[in-house]
Order: sequence, then C-alpha cells, then structure tokens
Amino acid sequence: MKIGRRVLLGGAGLLALGVGGLAGRRMWLSRELELPDAINADGRALWSNWAGNAYAYPAARAAPANEAELAALLPGAKTPIRPVGSGHSFTELVPTEGTLLSLDRLSGLVSHDATAMTATVRAGTKLSALGPLLAGIGQEMPNLPDINKQTLAGALATGTHGTGKGVKAIHGEVTAMRLVLPNGEVAECSRELRPELFHTARVSLGAFGVVSEVTLQNRPLERVKKIVSLVDTEDMLRQWPALAEKHRNAEFLVLPFTGKSALITHDTTTEPVRPRGPDGDTDTLMDLKSLRDLFEFAPELRKKAAQSAMADIPPDIAIDEGWKLLSNERPVRFKEMEYHLPIAEQVGALREIIRRIESDARGVFFPIEARIIAPDDAWLSPFYERESGSIAVHAWYKEDHDWMFRLAEPVFREAGGRPHWGKLHSLGAQEFKQLYPQFAEADAIRRSVDPDGRMLNPFLKRIFG
Amino acid sequence: MRKYIALLLLPWLGGCDEPVPSVQPMTPELSAQLSPADPRLAELYAGSCKACHTVKDSLAPLTGDRSAWDARWAQGEAALLSASIQGKNGMPAGGQCFTCTPEDLKRLIRFMAGREDEQ
Repeated sequence: MKIGRRVLLGGAGLLALGVGGLAGRRMWLSRELELPDAINADGRALWSNWAGNAYAYPAARAAPANEAELAALLPGAKTPIRPVGSGHSFTELVPTEGTLLSLDRLSGLVSHDATAMTATVRAGTKLSALGPLLAGIGQEMPNLPDINKQTLAGALATGTHGTGKGVKAIHGEVTAMRLVLPNGEVAECSRELRPELFHTARVSLGAFGVVSEVTLQNRPLERVKKIVSLVDTEDMLRQWPALAEKHRNAEFLVLPFTGKSALITHDTTTEPVRPRGPDGDTDTLMDLKSLRDLFEFAPELRKKAAQSAMADIPPDIAIDEGWKLLSNERPVRFKEMEYHLPIAEQVGALREIIRRIESDARGVFFPIEARIIAPDDAWLSPFYERESGSIAVHAWYKEDHDWMFRLAEPVFREAGGRPHWGKLHSLGAQEFKQLYPQFAEADAIRRSVDPDGRMLNPFLKRIFG
Repeated sequence: MRKYIALLLLPWLGGCDEPVPSVQPMTPELSAQLSPADPRLAELYAGSCKACHTVKDSLAPLTGDRSAWDARWAQGEAALLSASIQGKNGMPAGGQCFTCTPEDLKRLIRFMAGREDEQ
C-alpha cells in the first residue's frame, strides 16, 4: 500500500496540532493561580492558608507573649476570633474579618517528669521544634504526622495523626490542658478536672477557647529504621492488614496509573545511625506529573512508562531517632481530602477510589495515602471509639480538586467515614450529628463556654449549625 | 551535531540576566546559626521563616546564602515583598508569619538575603 506524501504531511500536521493542543490544554489547566491582592482596599494585609485555597483580610492580628496576655486580650477582641497555627488546614477553619490570633510566641517546654515520661509544652510550639526539644530530655512523642510544620495546638484541634497499629493520634496522648476561654477565664482540664471540657478541648476546631499549654504522655527516645520500598499495588492491598500489624508504623502511597505503591515502615532498632539522604519525594512527584502531562490520554502507555522507570529501584533505608524520620518536607503545595473509615472498610473503599480515579480523573498524579489509627475517646475525635483506616487524595495547589467531591467523597460517605477536620469535605451539622455519638454534648459544652459564638466564623457555623 | 547546537545557544545562554553566583553556597548547618540582630525580628524569624529557610529539602533559599538570594534580590524588594505576602511556589502566603506586618516581612527578606545592613 502506498501512502501519498500529501497524506503523510497532513497526518503529521494533524498529529502535531493534536499534541500541541493537548500540551496547551494542560498548560492552561495548570496555570499559576490568580492571587488575591496583597493589601485590600481597606489597607488590610492578606492572610492565606498554606495551600492558598482559603484567605481573608483580618481587621486585627494578635500574638500574645504569654497566657496572661492571651487572657487579657480575648474578652475585648474583635470577632470572630480565630486562632491560627501554621495555616496547614485546607478547610476554612481560620479565615476571619475579625481577629487572627497566632500562638507563635507561646512556644517551648514548660516542665517535664522523667519518671512519668510526660512533658508540658506551650501550645504554639511547632512539631518540628518539639522533636529536638523532647529528645533533649530523653523523650519522644509516640507518633508524628507526615508534615511537622504544624503547631501543637493546631494539630490537636484538627485531630492530626500519624500511622500505626495501636498508635493513637496526637490528641490521644494528651493528659492535661490549659486553655483560655472566650471570656478570659483560664481553665485547666484533665480526666479528673473538668472532664467534659477535656473531652471536647482535645479536638476542638479552635472553637472552645484558645489552648495555652498541653501535657503530653511521651515515651523514651528510641531509634527507628525507616524503609521505603516500591511494591505492586495489588500485592500491597492484599497484604496491608498483615503489614500494618507487623510494623510499628506502616503506611502506603498508591501511585495511580502505575500499578505501583510505596510502602513506608518504621520499626524500633539498635542498628547504627544511617541518616536520611536528600529528599527524593519531590523529584518522584514531579516525575509522576511529567508522566501525566505526556500520557494523560494514554493510560496504558502511562503505566508502561512508569513501570519501566520504576523497575529495579532499591528500597530506601534510614536509621535515626523517630522525630528525624517520621515527618517529611513537603515543598510542593497541594490540596487534600482525607476521611477516616472503620478499619474493615479501608481496603474495599481504596480499591473503589483507585478504580474511579483511573477511569474518570486522569489528570490526577498525586499519590493516594493510606494509614491506620487507634481509637480514642475525645468526643470530636474522628477516631472516637473506633479503629480507623484513613484514605487521603490530593491535588496540586494549582489544579482543580472538584473530582474529590464527585468521585472520592461519596465512597468515603458510603463506608461510614468521618472527615479529617482540617481537610476538604462538604459536611455540615446534620451529618456530624450522625457520625459523632457525642456531637450534641460537645456542642452544648461549646455553647456554655462561648454563648455568643465569638469564635465562630461562617465555616464553623456550618459545622456546629 | 549537538556541539553545533550548543555553540548556537551559547550567546543566548550568556545573555541571561541571572548573575553568576559570586560566593559559595551556604550549608544548612551554618544557615541555621544565623539570626536577625533585632530581638523582635529574631523572634518572628524563629517562629516562621526559619522552619523552611534553613532546611535544604524545603527548596527554599537558605538564609544568608547569597549564591541563592542574589538573583532573587535582583528582582527588586517590592517584588519579593509581594511574593512573601501572597505566597509563591512552595512558600505559603505570609511565609507562615501570620503576625508579621509588611514592614516586618521586608526586614526579614533583607536579613535572609544577606543584606541586613543595607538601607
């Protein structure tokens, strides 16, 4: 068969147009965001969260240097009063046209008990600073989240967690708290002292006052061995319950459209220190983006190219104190939705999420994260009285995330999931009353300490109704 | 063929505005030892910028590393200030310093860029 030169040239031209068109489409979809003004018409400076999807122009900003200053400030502060930690929440917990209250100056160690392995810490201490601070007194937190830029208060308020069979979220290891109520009263609470306040203030959404000090139940500082290995996703899903049981901390990241997952484990060891190398996660993420950019409409080619690129990658191993290994730098900003499901539902729901993304959301290139969290008894804890398997989906900060609500959230809801308080979700008071057995009791406590709703912004009004 | 392409590109590459780094890159350890002279600014810095600008993996230019900052400084202080308030690439809006005024941010940028003494 002979193909005419004109036909060939025409075909090549059409192909070039097609490729150019697709590249142009992707460039448009991934364009830099239009940023809100740095200073608004009233001369107020912009505040925005880490991801850049929530912002406000607060009338006042405050950073009390100590608890007494905080207590003096709260009764007269312009409302809504919204405490801010590190701005790592993706939901609109913080935006306020009233007072933005930073705890940056309430930082550091207050005291510790070497026998009981407890430490009392000011609530604005960042987790990244808390690790070395506790290591200095021979202690460590039993677990840490993936990112450690958050303040302790912000992490507690949103139910921030790490991963591990039998390992609780951060608030699960709190034994006592001091908080300043909206009227300026300083309240202490624990299981023995004002227990109802303790049950709500551990996971508070920053709506019950402002936490000033936290006592943590820690454990002796240990060395851990971290191993990151690439595995087939199908094997990973089959073996997950056994792997979660076997390791001190285990999680995995499904790399969509590749058939591969990254398994990350941490186990206690006495082996010599082997410091972590330079971060490779960012390069891997950008490689996944490049694959998406090239093969978005050719999933089979995308998978083949990924598997070829990932063949023979050896496990990455590091040995050091846990606070140096459990958390990671995440220089690529993103948006995230994470739900916590009853543990028995996790793998089935994850299979469905992968299926939906790979058939209906081919623009996705971020990994899907799966973790495991032990139950606790804080009334607004997503892990309240149930062992949970979490699933998190992500989108690059510049790109659309509507698919999360369309494809992932219905699966999470169907499985009985509770959303992470700091991550994207569409729920309101009616749904939370169904999901949290103690929701009405917690809200009653909130109304008793803040009868005028001075700490409620529009988002929190949706949450509490 | 490749060397000819490289030769053709050479004048264009040489014409780029990015200045050649005049100093050696700084290590994260040395960077972490730096702190603004003004105690108030030092407190703001320790509570926000330092968390990323002394950590190589964060991809933020290290504090005091003129080899990374000089090209940015060449964009002008106004551009750097806007980027710090609005956020840019990996850096969130306000550089995570939620109590910093624009003037504070300007001074922090000068400090991190190794130009604290310049007016």
